[in-house]
Amino acid sequence: MPKVLIPTPLRQFTSKQDAVTVSGATVGEALAALTAQHPDLRKQIFTEEGKVRSFVNVYLNDEDIRYLRKSDTAVKESDTISLVPSIAGGSALATPSEAQPLSKDEILRYSRHLIIPEVGIEGQQKLKAAKVLLIGAGGLGAPLGLYLAAAGVGRLGMVDFDVVDFTNLQRQVIHSTADVGRKKLDSAAAKMQAINPHIEIVKHETALSSENALDILKDYDIVVDGTDNFPTRYLVNDACVLLGKPNVYGSIFRFEGQATIFAYQGGPCYRCLYPEPPPPGLVPSCAEGGVLGILPGTVGLIQATETVKLILGIGEPLVGRLLLYDALGLRFRELKLRRNPECPVCGDHPTVTKLIDYQQFCGIPHAQPAQETQMNSGEIDVTEVKAKLDRGDNFVLIDVREPHEYRICNIPAAKLVPLGEFPRRVGEFDPNAEIVIHCKMGGRSAKACAVLRQAGFLNVRNMTGGILAWADKVDPTVPKY
Amino acid sequence: MIHIESEPWRAMLSHARATYPNECCGAMLGVIDGDTKTVSEAMALENAFAGAQAARYELRPEDLLAADKAARERKMDLIGIYHSHPDCDAYFSQTDLKNSCPWYSFVVLSIREGQFHHANSWLPNFDQTEAAKEELKYE
Repeated sequence: MPKVLIPTPLRQFTSKQDAVTVSGATVGEALAALTAQHPDLRKQIFTEEGKVRSFVNVYLNDEDIRYLRKSDTAVKESDTISLVPSIAGGSALATPSEAQPLSKDEILRYSRHLIIPEVGIEGQQKLKAAKVLLIGAGGLGAPLGLYLAAAGVGRLGMVDFDVVDFTNLQRQVIHSTADVGRKKLDSAAAKMQAINPHIEIVKHETALSSENALDILKDYDIVVDGTDNFPTRYLVNDACVLLGKPNVYGSIFRFEGQATIFAYQGGPCYRCLYPEPPPPGLVPSCAEGGVLGILPGTVGLIQATETVKLILGIGEPLVGRLLLYDALGLRFRELKLRRNPECPVCGDHPTVTKLIDYQQFCGIPHAQPAQETQMNSGEIDVTEVKAKLDRGDNFVLIDVREPHEYRICNIPAAKLVPLGEFPRRVGEFDPNAEIVIHCKMGGRSAKACAVLRQAGFLNVRNMTGGILAWADKVDPTVPKY
Repeated sequence: MIHIESEPWRAMLSHARATYPNECCGAMLGVIDGDTKTVSEAMALENAFAGAQAARYELRPEDLLAADKAARERKMDLIGIYHSHPDCDAYFSQTDLKNSCPWYSFVVLSIREGQFHHANSWLPNFDQTEAAKEELKYE
């Protein structure tokens, strides 16, 4: 039968036994059996309402049952249940949240929060004392910034180095049309401050890197990851694990989103879920694959909800659960996540103890200066392609984008062969012909060039920068997307 | 009454001096005989508070579980928790109280300018609303 280890001071209630064997199929049943055998223990472990006292953590072997199935966690014959108090403290007379009184204006502003018993004045003061860092002021950062500012999070930091672009406006609702060309940080901060002048907004105008991440993150309580690329995602994860800060994670693609909290007290981290990054180019970004504009609203607000819950210490945090959202089916699913004891960052014997080179980890070559790329013999500039077309040179121009992209804009002389069909259609082309391939930005066409070269084609070149470069340098009437 | 023997007492003081100006924390192991608790071993634990540790500490439950296990293996009892208050008195603060537990003795060491000043032991109540002073003897 499973046994419950009795902490020393409680042995006076168990006839001095240091362990009690109990019956029961779950932790809840086992504890009920324990207190039935030793009724004086009941008051020590449970409140009058029958809830486990707030200072008691229940462990099944080495794991906190909060991260298992709580009191429904199944117990085996050989299992050991431990009662471990949570203990903290310090000379601080009051926690920071208790030292932040609300002004009369703030009480009026937050009245709909204050009248919820779970929030109240105390909760609103916690929000005011909270320091939250948003990584990215884009699709996810937009709803996060707006709502967390409105909710009264006292200090909101934002990391971004981009400027607002027309293609952002379909989803990044914190920016308006007049902001195109403006720094995203300035545009976002202006909207947030307009919503709530009582909060402090800290702008970190930089690309988060292994050099600056720890320094930026260390001053915040919670980090919210709204990035769209793998190197930064791993960087944010590792920095959060190293600093012991929860990482409220969200990601989006087309009609699907994911959210969870990583690096939260004993919970899993991003590397427990994805130990290795996908090969570069396998998972398309939103710029390549597209995204339903409303999707980041849904996912960003799930992240905002979890952030506020963490600050208030209420509800059940999305820890150890990966929430999957499918907008087309309008369904939410959950996958269980467990901390991997072998995880190189958050495992029992971590091998990554400082930040690494995340570009290299994700197999992405460091950005080369544009000129160097153009001098690469496998590349051809859009202006040269235009000149060849004008001269009537004998060459084949291939567009490897998808048909729905071709319908948005195209170069009429180009033949459409989507990348997915490319390998089996290689036979359509003459290995001795001069071939130029393009796509939207140059990534997919580079892969198509590699396919042809491998098949023995000698004269194959990639049109640098794709049709976007064509629109910039050759034909401004071509719409960019 | 809690009585801390000289060896663990010296270990606790040197731990508190070493982490100064930050707070230190650890577990006290020994035997309980009626109303007398005798501490014969101090086990330094990591202050796991994520943030400035000059006025805060946090014990990982896993570390406490390990301390309890160590005590059982050595046929000793986990008697209490100690922590330091750098540059202030050895009172039991609201922060201490709200994050305490009525099962253990809480010894607080006041460290001023890096040196031991005084100490108190506290017994928090169930509702974490107040703590009674416990008689403390050390060698």
